[in-house]
Amino acid sequence: MIINLNYMRYLLVLFLLVSFLGYSQDFSNEDFIYLKRHEHIKIGLVKQSFEITKLVSEQAEYLSANKLYFANESMSFDSFTSIEDIDAYTYLPSSNKNIKVDYIETKREFDNGIFYSDQESKIFTFPAVTKGAITNLNYKEVIKDPHFLGLFRFGTYVPTKSAQLSIEFPSNISIGYIDFNTKDISVDFKQETSKDITTYTWTANNTKGYQSEDDGESVLYFVPHIIVYIKSYEYKGERYNVLNDVNDLYKWYASLVDQIDTNDLQKVYKIANDITKSLPTKREKAEAIFHWVQNNINYVAFEDGLGGFIPRGAASVCDKRYGDCKDMANLLYEMLNHVGIEAYRTWIGTRDRPYTYSQVPTPMVDNHMITTAIIDGETIFLDGTDSYVPFGMPSAFTQTKEALLGINSTTFKLITVPVQKAEQSVTDVNTAIHIKDDMFIVTEKRLLSGYEKVEFITDYLYKKATKTEEEFLNTTLALGNNKTSYNNITKQNFDNKRNPLELAYNLTIDNYVKKVGTKLYINLDIDRVLSKSKVDIEDKKYDKKIDHTYTKNYVTILTIPEGYTASFIPEDLSFENENYGYKITYTQKDNTIIQHKNIFVNTLSVKKQDFESWNEFIKSLIKAYKKSIILEQK
Amino acid sequence: MTKQILFVLLIASTNCFSQYYKSYDWSEKPKLHTITADEQKEHSIGILKKNIVEYTTAALTSDLKAYETFHTITRVNDEKGIGQHNTVYIPMYDVKNVIDIKARTINSKGKITLLNKDNIKEVKNVEEYGDFKIFAIEGVEKNSEIEVLYTVEKNADLFGSETLQSNYKIKTAQFLYITGDLNSEIKAYRTASKFESVTTDGKASKLLEIKNIPAMIEEEYATPDANKIAVVYQCFPKGQNITQEMFWNNVVTNVGNKIIPETVNPKVDADIQTITKGQKDLTTYQKIVLVDNFVKSNFTVVKNNNEELSDLDYVLKNRSSSDFGILKVYANYFKTLDVAYELVITANRFTYKFDPDFFIPNMLRDFLIYIPSEDKYISPDRVEYRVGEAPFNILGNYGLFINEEFGYYFSKIVQSDPNFSTIKRNTDITFNDDFESATLKQHQEYTGHWSITNRAVLSLSSDQGIKEFKDYLTGSGIEDKVIESYEVENGDMNQTEYNKPFITKSTISSESIIEDAGDSYLFQIGKVIGTQSELYQETERVNPIEMTYPNQYDYTITVNIPDGYTVEGLNSLNIDKSYKSNSTGEKICKFESSYKLEGNKLIITIQEFYKSNEYDLNRYEEFRSVINAASDFNKASIVFKTK
Repeated sequence: MIINLNYMRYLLVLFLLVSFLGYSQDFSNEDFIYLKRHEHIKIGLVKQSFEITKLVSEQAEYLSANKLYFANESMSFDSFTSIEDIDAYTYLPSSNKNIKVDYIETKREFDNGIFYSDQESKIFTFPAVTKGAITNLNYKEVIKDPHFLGLFRFGTYVPTKSAQLSIEFPSNISIGYIDFNTKDISVDFKQETSKDITTYTWTANNTKGYQSEDDGESVLYFVPHIIVYIKSYEYKGERYNVLNDVNDLYKWYASLVDQIDTNDLQKVYKIANDITKSLPTKREKAEAIFHWVQNNINYVAFEDGLGGFIPRGAASVCDKRYGDCKDMANLLYEMLNHVGIEAYRTWIGTRDRPYTYSQVPTPMVDNHMITTAIIDGETIFLDGTDSYVPFGMPSAFTQTKEALLGINSTTFKLITVPVQKAEQSVTDVNTAIHIKDDMFIVTEKRLLSGYEKVEFITDYLYKKATKTEEEFLNTTLALGNNKTSYNNITKQNFDNKRNPLELAYNLTIDNYVKKVGTKLYINLDIDRVLSKSKVDIEDKKYDKKIDHTYTKNYVTILTIPEGYTASFIPEDLSFENENYGYKITYTQKDNTIIQHKNIFVNTLSVKKQDFESWNEFIKSLIKAYKKSIILEQK
Repeated sequence: MTKQILFVLLIASTNCFSQYYKSYDWSEKPKLHTITADEQKEHSIGILKKNIVEYTTAALTSDLKAYETFHTITRVNDEKGIGQHNTVYIPMYDVKNVIDIKARTINSKGKITLLNKDNIKEVKNVEEYGDFKIFAIEGVEKNSEIEVLYTVEKNADLFGSETLQSNYKIKTAQFLYITGDLNSEIKAYRTASKFESVTTDGKASKLLEIKNIPAMIEEEYATPDANKIAVVYQCFPKGQNITQEMFWNNVVTNVGNKIIPETVNPKVDADIQTITKGQKDLTTYQKIVLVDNFVKSNFTVVKNNNEELSDLDYVLKNRSSSDFGILKVYANYFKTLDVAYELVITANRFTYKFDPDFFIPNMLRDFLIYIPSEDKYISPDRVEYRVGEAPFNILGNYGLFINEEFGYYFSKIVQSDPNFSTIKRNTDITFNDDFESATLKQHQEYTGHWSITNRAVLSLSSDQGIKEFKDYLTGSGIEDKVIESYEVENGDMNQTEYNKPFITKSTISSESIIEDAGDSYLFQIGKVIGTQSELYQETERVNPIEMTYPNQYDYTITVNIPDGYTVEGLNSLNIDKSYKSNSTGEKICKFESSYKLEGNKLIITIQEFYKSNEYDLNRYEEFRSVINAASDFNKASIVFKTK
């Protein structure tokens, strides 16, 4: 078989034309597709308790023998669900035989983020898969809590010929639903009522495959899907809300918060008093408490039934010195309020969840908890899980998201976490360069603030592994070339949350100065940040995600070596639009050449339609980076 | 699992003493240990890592009993250190009883927090590792010490192993081996420290104590995990003395009986028909290739606890198999087709160095099939490999080879074809009129392990993986490149011809590769060979040098010099670095590049090769200079000037 990607692209164009002409889509280039993925949710109500089951029926075909690993199937469940009546088999059209799955195991997995979880999986392998094989899987999922109906994806990582969700329910139950990312596919909706039972059915045919991209948003931003939920039910003439809107979601959250263990809070109060007693202002007190939690409570997460939703008691978290997001959020809440600072437990979805509370009034909307303090009219979001974020800034991954503040047992407030400004996350770089024996000798100091600091420290702690500092800097900053040697590395204010991180070192860079005849070609752009960020417009399907906005300022001073004179200095260059840009200028003063460079990114996302503009920016920047100074012997 | 399949337990008998773990305890009033200023800079420091393994025999039943005690004290200095040590996972694999588990924290002020045992959680059937007891350490702050002490009774296997080195420094490591009057063997790897004979509660014991074990660090061209200081041991039932040879014979007989068929399972006939399509005059090579392609396109190798996955009838019907069961399938096909083969039991060299002189089942982890007449290997459970050399992660390790007559021998698993893995790359470079951009036309041929990886990535990856791979195959490191055309030949994993090259043909263009410098143009020609690895060495090299696999690169770069221009600065294109064999004086690895000018063409030829997979640690600097020579070339640029 010859794989020719251009050829495939050409074929793809052809397919589009063909389907335009009314034929159904052809997936013959694929290795594995779903023929169908159907889910049928059945909701019953006995007195006031729900009986909910979801019947799942899937059929998949192996169009080649390349990816037989798809035979490994896994269905996860936890204390809110159970998996029953699994019927799975492989059909072999060549011999017209069915071979049943006869061995299913229940397994657990260790997860890096969650230390202990009650999630388990039913795992099995479809037998006899090979080219042409069709696998069939049917099972029942029992949903034990009416808040968790889940979501259904019309598209998944490989194409699906027929995707269908249906939900049947008696007339005393009211169901809500909302779909996402469906504008490019056609979803057929049907409503049927017979006797007392209503059924909603959504069907989408021939959806393509959707896979995540490394520099993209989470799949939920583009995969077509639908969320269904129980709004309310009627019992003996009265209407009871389940998740009619965000009010009900909050009511449920408040009922869980009521169950927090409030024993021994005196212990917590004592710590709060001790660390704030000498501080005059509320702001300083809040900052001290936040830093204490950042420094002293280690992140360890347990997800165990409703325990995954109810914060552990603040005193116990203090004793154990560990907790997850909700434990830290509740601890901050207790400590702050105790010293007289208005603070609220706050639910929030990270940027991975593209929903608002008004769209999705279900637990699907959020996955995180923080604390919100109001000090002198200013709203401050405090995320204890982010050990290095400065006081006053939210964790980067909660920007743009709606925060649900629990005011009291019945009242809540929604506030959107603002995007932090590029001026809050700054890297200032001061560089002095000398040339000695054709070597580049550099003295550099970097000051990192805001998310620039958080990002560097996180990489330093978790990506450095057992690499030496030199090697770590060489691979992360990538200054000069990979022959750059780093000396006298110093770091300051690593743990000091208030001041910028100060990083200083000396560099010698070999093979960097180009000497031809009497000329030296000198390039001052040893830091080529963003030069690898060009988007491949043809291959990249979805918006580009940016973790935080930032500004980088460089001042680079080159001392012209004895006996040389500058025969060429590059012209000033710039690119600017409201979201990103750069400016580079050169000035000559005495025996030095000074380069000023400013780069900023002031957006959290580059939309697909803006890829051309982004690439223009990057290409212009790369072009500017490659401009050299020429020094000539006098 | 492998252990049970491979080894039939040799039987046991008598004696009784009180066990040492009953009296062993941590200190009643713990104090923080002093550490040096340098140690304070580390994320964490092991103060003590102590293992006690005790074998004994129960009086009445005369069964062999084994107890293991683990005792660690670890200083944690910062958030990362805490994160590395504040969660504890105790494997329950082979554990009969948990005798006791306890843990405590001593913080920098001396405050002690004892683990609440109710917070120990049980986790069942985790992936392939079995059950665990897990808990989070309570009360840890920066500069605390975490102390964990637990004892388990194990199923009395006759052997075990323990790794003493870690990825953080350990100030004192002790391994105490208590066997009393039972016969036993013990061996330590990669340490100069020796076992001392001591008496523990009146019982003969061996103690290995090592001070200041440095952190094992990640290094390139190395297998750091497999190079850690470790101990292996065997203990025999009362009155018995089992030699290594007896152990190996036991394995050979057991494995041979299970896999090598006396008569062929009749169910394979239909498969043989499909495989050979009735051809009678196939060569041995053709037979093994057809069998291997058939198995890999029709069977799935699965890791779970289903014992039937090792049952041939079940495997043939369900086409799902364990890594053990699939060997039976090959053995039956080969017997039917009259192909002589040997089974090979070995290990991943990155995790375990196979030792023929000391048997422990732990190292019997991977299976290969060796075809002596062709000098080729088959990797039955590796979907990406086909008939050829052994997988790169096994290459260089020892293996136990078992033939169809149950004869056996040990051999290092080496590459038989010295030129198995090569890259040939021809690049033709032209510039557009105003030197705004360069166009690179490339023809590349990859063989051996390169081609195996390339095919696997393209066949098995996600879209993201394929996208990244396309970048890698078309001038990686040229940041602004535009891929104008790109095609792949021989990309299918099922090939029938030996070592058929994986071919790419591509055209890319780049502006950034040329730099406009006033009156001339700088062309970064080095970037054409792609990003090259650079070996850093600020600290003394620790690990022996092991390549991923022997390989060779042959590059030809042709630069078409535009009319009206001359080219300068060519000296940096001449590089000659090599490492010569001590015995023969031949170059066993090298990087050589040179150029010639022919009319308006600048032609650069590069040859880089690594003929051996292992290099002398004492000559690390020479090896490094060869590796870094490619990185030097990558920085080369030439200057175009108007005539």
